[in-house]
Order: sequence, then C-alpha cells, then structure tokens
Amino acid sequence: MIKLIEKIEGEAKLNFNFKDNKIDFVDIEFMSTRNIENILRGKNAFDALVINPRVCGICGHAHLIATVQALEDCYDNLELSNKAKIIRELTLNFELIQNHFKWYYLTMLPLFGHKQQVLKATFPSQLMGKAIALFGGQYPHTSYAIVGGVVCEITEIDIIKLQHYIAQTIKFVEDNLVKTDSENFLTCKDADVLLDYEGDLPDILRQIKKEELLEYGKSYDRFISFGENSYFKKGKSLKTKVSHNISVEHVKESEMPSSFAKNVSFKDKYYEVGPLARAMVNKTPLIADAHKKYGDSIFSRILARVCEISQLLEHSKKLIKDLDLSEESYIEPSIDISQLNSSGYSAVEAARGTLIHKVEIENGIIKNYEIITPTQWNLSGGTKDKLGVSQKAMIGLSDIKTAELVFKSFDVCSVCTTH
Amino acid sequence: MKNNSLFNKLSSRLDELSNLPKLDDEVSISKLIEEKGFSRREFMGWAGAMTAMLTLPASFTPLVAKAAEMADRLPLVWLHMAECTGCSESLLRSATPSIDSLIFDYISLEYHETIMAAAGWQAEQNLEHAIQKYKGRYILMVEGGIPHGESDYFLTVGAHGKTGEQSAKEASANAAAIFAIGTCSSFGGVQAAYPNPTNATALSNVTDRPVINVPGCPPSESNIVGTLLHFILYGTLPALDVYNRPKWAYGLRIHDSCERRGRFDAGEFVEQFGDEGAKDGYCLYKVGCKGPYTFNNCSKQKFNQGTSWPVQAGHGCMGCSEPDFWDKMGIVHEPLGDRLYHTVFGGLGSDATADKIGVGILTVTAVGIAAHAAISLVKKPKE
Repeated sequence: MIKLIEKIEGEAKLNFNFKDNKIDFVDIEFMSTRNIENILRGKNAFDALVINPRVCGICGHAHLIATVQALEDCYDNLELSNKAKIIRELTLNFELIQNHFKWYYLTMLPLFGHKQQVLKATFPSQLMGKAIALFGGQYPHTSYAIVGGVVCEITEIDIIKLQHYIAQTIKFVEDNLVKTDSENFLTCKDADVLLDYEGDLPDILRQIKKEELLEYGKSYDRFISFGENSYFKKGKSLKTKVSHNISVEHVKESEMPSSFAKNVSFKDKYYEVGPLARAMVNKTPLIADAHKKYGDSIFSRILARVCEISQLLEHSKKLIKDLDLSEESYIEPSIDISQLNSSGYSAVEAARGTLIHKVEIENGIIKNYEIITPTQWNLSGGTKDKLGVSQKAMIGLSDIKTAELVFKSFDVCSVCTTH
Repeated sequence: MKNNSLFNKLSSRLDELSNLPKLDDEVSISKLIEEKGFSRREFMGWAGAMTAMLTLPASFTPLVAKAAEMADRLPLVWLHMAECTGCSESLLRSATPSIDSLIFDYISLEYHETIMAAAGWQAEQNLEHAIQKYKGRYILMVEGGIPHGESDYFLTVGAHGKTGEQSAKEASANAAAIFAIGTCSSFGGVQAAYPNPTNATALSNVTDRPVINVPGCPPSESNIVGTLLHFILYGTLPALDVYNRPKWAYGLRIHDSCERRGRFDAGEFVEQFGDEGAKDGYCLYKVGCKGPYTFNNCSKQKFNQGTSWPVQAGHGCMGCSEPDFWDKMGIVHEPLGDRLYHTVFGGLGSDATADKIGVGILTVTAVGIAAHAAISLVKKPKE
C-alpha cells in the first residue's frame, strides 16, 4: 500500500508491505530533485554562500553556517573573532528553536487528533525569525556569514531587542508548552514528573502513555552527532554508551535506484541524528531518564525535540552575556580565495540533526561539493536485511496512521534530502 | 477629487464580489479576525499599512479593509514545485498581528501542503475537487521552478505520479489569476542556475495564460499579500514591468530608496567588511551590492515584520528578484563594475543602469560626480 507523506516540506512516498497485518517492510522514495551540488561545480567559491541557504527554506541557515565553515576549513590559519563565532551560533540556535515550534504545533498535534494550532506555531517562530533578521537582515535565506566572520555591526540596541525576543519566547513556552517556570522544566530530571505539569507538551506525553504508544517508534538505539559548538558535543551513543572519538571520514553516501535521495551510513551502519541523538551524546538528564524508561520511542524523541527549545533559549542568554561588541566582526583572510587550492569540510547541528558539507576548491572555483543532510541519515532506505533508522522504527506496526506518526517524529524534510 | 473615479471603480468591484458565494456561509473574515483576538482598530491599522504599500491614498483604507474581508470570495490554490519552501516560510512569518497569515490560511484551499492537515490521496482529491468546484474563480499561486520537457520527471507530485509540469498546467488552465510567487516560479530560480541540471523553468514557460511574477528569494510577506489584495480590489492584473512584475512593488530599484543612498551620493563606501565604513553604515556597492540593478521594495518594506533587510544588516543586495541572478549577478562580494551582463537596457553593461541611466541624478552635484568616479575604481587588490 502506497502512502504519500506531505507536510514535511516537500513530499515523500512510502510504500508499505504488510504481512500478517503488520508492517513488514517500508520502501521510502523521494520523487523530486534539484541537483544543487551539480550547480555549485564551476561557480566561484563565495557564491556557495548565496546558493546553499536555498537548499532548504526551513533550515537554510544551517546550510549557510555549514557552507561558511567548510570554506573556512580550506584555509590554513584563518582567524575568527569570538564575537563572530557567538553570533553565528546564536542565529543557528534561533533557527532550531523556530523549527521545533512549527514541527510540534503544525505537524505533531494533528497526528494526535488535535487541531492544528497555526498561530501557536507562527507566534514564537516569528519572534525567532526577527531575532535572526537582527543579525542577518532577513529570514529565511540570509547570507550574512562570510569567510572571516559576519557582516553585521550590531549595537547595544540590537542586543536589547534580542533579549526582548528571547524573553517573549520563553514566556510563550511557560504559558503554553510546559506551564511552569522554565527553570523547573530545565532542571527536571525525571520524565514522569513532567507528566504532572500542565501544558501542550505534557498533554501529548500523557496521551502517549494513556494510549499505550510507548513502545512505538523504537529503532536501533544508535545515535550520532557531529556538529560541535559551545552547547552540542560530538559523539556517538550506542544505547547509553557514549564515545566522542568519531571522524567524518567514516561517513559514506550511497545511491539508491528507486529514489532521488542517497543513503548515509557511518562505518556501514545507520545512525539516528537529531535532538534525541544530541541529548544522548550530551547526556541531558531529563532525556537520559526518558530513554532509560521508554527507550528510543516516540515519547523520548518528541520530548527531546521540545526540550531543546528551552535549553537553547537558556543557552542563548548565556551566549549573549559573553558577547563583546568591541571585537572585530570580520577578519580578512590572509590569502585571497582565488589563490586557494584546497579542500575542507564542516559539520553543524541543524534542526533535524547533523548536516555535513564538503568542498574542494581549485583557484577559488568550486571543483566539487557534497552535502549530506540530516534527513538522509534518518530516512536512509535500506534493504530488508539492513533497514534504515526510520524504516526499522515502523516495522511491526499494524496501521499506517501510527506509522505516519512514527515517521514524522523524526521531523523529516524532503527538500533538503534530495537537494 | 481626482481619485474619485478610481474609488468608485474599486467600490463597485467589491460590491460585485460581495454577491459571490462565500467559502463558508457561517464564517466571515471579520468575525474570524475578531475571534483570534484582533480588535477592529488593529485590523484597520493593518489595512492602512497595506493601503500605503499599494501606493493608494490613505482615504482608500476602508476599501482595502473591505477587500480583505472579501478575500473568501476568491479561494486560493497554492502549488509547490521544485523549491525549498522558503516562500511559504516567508508567509508563515508574516506580520504580527498575523492578519495576513490568518486570511491566507482561511482562504487557502486544501492544497497548501506545508500547513495542511490532509495528506496524500486525500490532498490530491481535494485539489482536483477544488479546481472543479471553483473553476475560473480561484487564484493560483505557484511556488518553485518547474522541471520541464524531457526532464519533467525530476519533479513528480501526488499519489498518481503526475509530473509537476502537468499539475501546474492543469491548475493554470482554470484559474482566474495566476501568480508566480518567488524567483523560482517567476524565472526558474536556483535550480535553473547553470548548468540547470533538471531543466527547471518559469511557470510562464509552461502555460499560455498570463502569469504575474512576484519574485524575490524569498519575496517579502507583504509583496505576497499585497498581490492578492490588489487583485481583489481591482479585479484586473496590475500594471507590470518588462518582467511581468507588479509595478507597485517592483517599480523602483533597491538603490532608489536605500537607507545608505546618501553614503553612495557622498562617495562613502565600505571597502572591506568589518572596516570603519562598515561600522558607520557606508554604501555597500564595492563589497558587491547589486541594489543599483535590482527592482524591488525591500528598502521600504523590509523583512520579518520590518525588522531588517540585508543592506541594513551590512550585506549588499544580491539581486534576488532579477532573472537568473545566480549566473548574471555574481560574484557575490564584488561589484558588477563594467562586466557585461544582459539587461533590459540592451546589454549596455551592468553599470548602464547606475551610470548612464541613473547618472542624471548624480551629476547634479559635485559630490555626485565624486561618487561616480569612486564607483568605477576597482576594489582594493588583495595581497
């Protein structure tokens, strides 16, 4: 039985095979592509800063940051001010936050039989959009990060505005998502305690428990996260065993005959990426507790993503305190790009998980460009003997509606995936 | 009053519209807005801002308000083609109070995939049903470039495996008005950049019906909503430029009302990002601003509820509302200078617009001449 999954920024086609009334195998197909990597070849290296955000309208900013870091990796001794680093991290945080709100209110709630709450999705994401626009000029599709720093010269007034946007977003969380002081939510270490709170998140978590969906959505219990910054750590987690010693070298992309998307594996194994993976690698107490009790089920996956909203808002407040406006925004690289023959890569944590960019430059012209997106990790379509992460999570379910819920709990994005 | 005839014309248009059936007899847009917690005063404030944007006198505000309330007479079909969804995103982020998004949300028929609740078979049926039911009456908005001809298989949509091209053609055939939202559906966009691997093209190349282009990557939310209101008000297509863009939004260059224009005229340029000029808000021409060649109202409307726009943030305009800007307006951080590029001005060279056509304003003052000389200097060579 074929089912189209939309409302995921583009479209994916899932072909369900049933055996004894249970899902036996799911074929995942993506039916469109734009071939951006091909377009990048032969272009001036800096043009990638304009083209790549357009890979995706929802996580375009992560693509910008990945691009600029991959290009900077091509230089030997590139200097970057602390201020530029913090600003880039802030805007990326805001993008993650706005995405999580929209996913929760637009995609998740209807799947649990609730009304889609458009305004609850747009209000906080507009605030975060404005916060990005303060630095980047617009959102989506800013190109304000450049090799050597950022172009914006912000002032104290911008900081005041920014703090206001963050405060309002935190207030929204406290009034709607989890009705308590953010401090309580952030320091909560017991997933079951959370169930006693009021709010849109505890409502859904209680519903998962009541309707006995706790076993749904379990996959390999194998997580990976490559993007490193002042908040996220790099590493992989096998059940709860975390190791930080991993290398992008072992990440491989392979073509699939039936789909425009490519599979991604690490040392020939499929890994889950995204907020749950990041929390497992970071050993976030609340998520670790949910994982201990309910494994890598939809419960933990949904909780991890929503929890990230509050964590990143809090962390952003700290980052702003570290911001020194008197530092340089931009430090000119010592070599002009046109004299550069080199290659580089980057890994950043986008809303949906690890995003990797790899670039080869010859005399300042892009010779090769490779983009590996988060959804490729989670949606890699494997064979029956070697299932992809989301495929495995759907096997054994008895109806398509639940399968759709499980599938979308990964927050899939097909525009990105096929780029 | 010289605007009387226009006022009367628009009024009678709205009266005609009010006789058409509503999407839902039980719901009215004014009630809907009120229910969501917006006062009449806030609504009128919003209508006033829209009136100004559509370059109508303030006395037309009640008409614009009425037009917004009539929006449910003309349902909207929104199609996604090969794209990044950035245009829908721009709209989702439109102004708070979210009157625009409320109206859009309400009148959008079931096919706005990103925010719609139905999916798959259901959605496709809804679309077909909507096209039949509202034949000749619905407004079609298309987002995304369209892989066409032998490459059409790069975009298949819907459960029946239709190509995007087919689906866009069919929806266009029965629409009352067709708007290409964003640079992709207007001109092909990023996927049409050289070597255009999927042979993506503009909506206007796959249908023989007239298409109004609302380019920008993404276009500001106000241009999208303004386009809709304009059609409701006038019932005819707006005055257009050579690229079929509405003149009320794309009539002027970014450069014409740029907040840094004074710096340009005074010959004060940012020579390199991060320098003293950058801190003082000097003109960004020499670090690659394409504002002098780009027609759009960003400098007035800005983005994200008027928070900012690229030039305010310190990044030059990249010309995103011009055709093929990917290939013709590069290199991103360098001025176009004297490099040849094909423009409507007959390939006079890119500076034709700035120098030969725009120079009239500059040469009035000595300062202007200095500025003119300054822009033809090559950017400081790097080591």
